[in-house]
Amino acid sequence: MKFLIVDDSITMRRIVANTLKNLGYTEFVEATDGKDALDKLAADDSIDFVITDWNMPVLSGLELIKAIRGSESLANLPVLMVTTRGVKEDIMEALSAKVNNYIVKPFTPPVLKEKIEQILAAIA
Amino acid sequence: MGQPSNMVQLFEKLNDLKAVFVYGQKIIPVVQSLIDFMKETVPLLENINNSISESTNKIPKATDHINNVTNATELATTEILDIIDRVSDDLIAIEKKLLDLANNDSEKTTKLLKLKEMISGNSEAEALIDEIIQNSAVDEQLKVVTEKLSQIRQETNDITLSLQVQDITTQQLAAVNHLIASVQNKLASLITDLSDNDLSEFDKEEPDNSHFNAGALYTKDSSSQDIADALINENNLKTSQEEIDKLFK
Repeated sequence: MKFLIVDDSITMRRIVANTLKNLGYTEFVEATDGKDALDKLAADDSIDFVITDWNMPVLSGLELIKAIRGSESLANLPVLMVTTRGVKEDIMEALSAKVNNYIVKPFTPPVLKEKIEQILAAIA
Repeated sequence: MGQPSNMVQLFEKLNDLKAVFVYGQKIIPVVQSLIDFMKETVPLLENINNSISESTNKIPKATDHINNVTNATELATTEILDIIDRVSDDLIAIEKKLLDLANNDSEKTTKLLKLKEMISGNSEAEALIDEIIQNSAVDEQLKVVTEKLSQIRQETNDITLSLQVQDITTQQLAAVNHLIASVQNKLASLITDLSDNDLSEFDKEEPDNSHFNAGALYTKDSSSQDIADALINENNLKTSQEEIDKLFK
């Protein structure tokens, strides 16, 4: 399973990658914002799963999800949002954009594992 | 009849004029005090203007300072993560060595037991082999060391996860920077209003606030995650029901 980790913070990208590695996942690609993520997705069709932050320059995580859902080839790609935005209205907005699941930072490995597994079970 | 009327009108006008003069005499001190007040106010306004200019000039330094702090913490966090990666690699190497050691020990024990079988009947030699096996068994020690290593690994993972605080404080600092930039813009437009100074070197556009969340918090409280989970579950149930409904249409 190949993950695309999208976050403008190098710290967060490394933490998510390290956690995925500890959970047994070994393939990652990183992107620094939504636009970079779309470029990576266009260049690499072997990406199976997107983990994205919300607040990013250039193109936000929410806009990225909308772009993914609006694309014929990427519409069914699983997307997990990992963000500091924990208020109900934000979560509702992400759900409206058709995010598959949602984690509020700071996250823990069991929560990340649980959400990934829930998404994979739902799309299986 | 016309002349007296004109005279009356003339006197009325003169009275009006007199009233104006009387009013003028009354108002002159007020106007004078207003002028005095203005004279006193002008230096005060200049002082305010200078203070605002000075503060506005200092603001870029403040935002630069905050950006430097953000960059420094990111650099330090990256260094910590590099060290943690090296420690993790070392732990993996040590665990591999320990596993090799355990396998060698197991092989050695198997060989000694085989030797014991070969010299069956020689009770003294058998006892000696049993003693060697017992003394050289590293299973228990290995178990203790492996547990300790596992604990160290868990703690390094916990350190890694705690470093999420860097991303969250970066967002909080970005929110402060955004606030300062907004104040700077207000001050710059105030200076432009108060004087002819056009602070064209300052960017008067509303600063971008899309790359941070001003409400970012580093907390172990799971209430926000619980809300997210509840909403996701609710949404999934709704979606499932919609899918079922579609099947029966």
